[in-house]
Amino acid sequence: MINQVIAIIGASENKGVALAKILAKVKMHLLLVVTNSHELSALANEIKTEHPDTDMEIVSCPVDASWEADIIVLAISYQAENKILSQIKAVSTQKIVITLSNQVNKANGSLSGEAENSSGEELQKILPYSKVIQVFNTALAAGFSQPSGVNQAADVFITGNDKEALQTVSKLIKLAGFNPIIAGDIS
Amino acid sequence: MFEVLFKKIAEIVILSEEETEAVKTFFLPKKIRKKQYLVQEGDSCKYLTFIEKGALRSYTVNEKGNEHIIQFAIEGWWITENSSFFKAAPSGYNIDALEDSEILLINLSNYENMLTSIPAMERYFRIHFQERLIALQRRIAITLTYSLEQKYIRMLDIYPDIIDRFPQHLIASYLGTTPETISRIRKQLSLRK
Repeated sequence: MINQVIAIIGASENKGVALAKILAKVKMHLLLVVTNSHELSALANEIKTEHPDTDMEIVSCPVDASWEADIIVLAISYQAENKILSQIKAVSTQKIVITLSNQVNKANGSLSGEAENSSGEELQKILPYSKVIQVFNTALAAGFSQPSGVNQAADVFITGNDKEALQTVSKLIKLAGFNPIIAGDIS
Repeated sequence: MFEVLFKKIAEIVILSEEETEAVKTFFLPKKIRKKQYLVQEGDSCKYLTFIEKGALRSYTVNEKGNEHIIQFAIEGWWITENSSFFKAAPSGYNIDALEDSEILLINLSNYENMLTSIPAMERYFRIHFQERLIALQRRIAITLTYSLEQKYIRMLDIYPDIIDRFPQHLIASYLGTTPETISRIRKQLSLRK
């Protein structure tokens, strides 16, 4: 995991900001892809103060960031998605692509909340050669950055088809202080 | 992103349009910066790497901290730690970037699937590994029997781009000597002209 590069596309939006803060403590090289550079320097400063040895860079090109990345995280809205996906598709082959869902995937399989972006299943169809992992977490969606509840790391449910990718993302989630739960395949 | 790869493949086999598109899906395209590691000694080398742009090297570091370059790799060359990639052994070498590079990575299971599903690629790699084996055998003989000066002259002869592109201390590390010795050899050679 160490020395790996992770690109967060949509780092200047709510989910992206929360995610950037969470991942700042993981020992990976972060590439924060922004459209809104003002918001981002504020975030960058905040991260630098709270986690001074975060290896982080703010970049504007999602294609270059995805090309450099080992793991790509999509934290963008549905509207922005299509354009970004067609741009990064070629450089995302064989890579883990994480999509954040604000829908609560409860253990009994019910979903609540409105979908803000493509489901993991749809994304896997658009990027057939990438390893799509869908990450569900209400705490994350609400913008919290504290992983722990009373004495326990908050649960984060993930789904995906590729076993190795699920393991890698689980490791990442643990490093970030959460408790990963593999909830099945992407559909 | 795949131009150099398909140019190299075309030197050995012909791929249809369909096969070409299929080959692309097996590789992970990555940009890596100068001095970034691909694999460290002792880790598992998951990928066979092709260089589209830039340069990588494989090397070891001995107890005294001296580096020995095993292999340079530039555009159109493949690099990996074979025992780790093919046999899951811990990597005997470090592999890092000598320049900002664009590389294509393929893991073992995709490599096997690609060779099974595209017979032309099986042929390409078989012939590629034949060439590599010939080169490696020649290199062992030369390492054991040539003088340093002869080794340098041979390198000038077959890999002049490597000599031009990389600093003296890296060439010295590859030839198993010191930068001062390489300097001396260069001077002697230029005096003879």
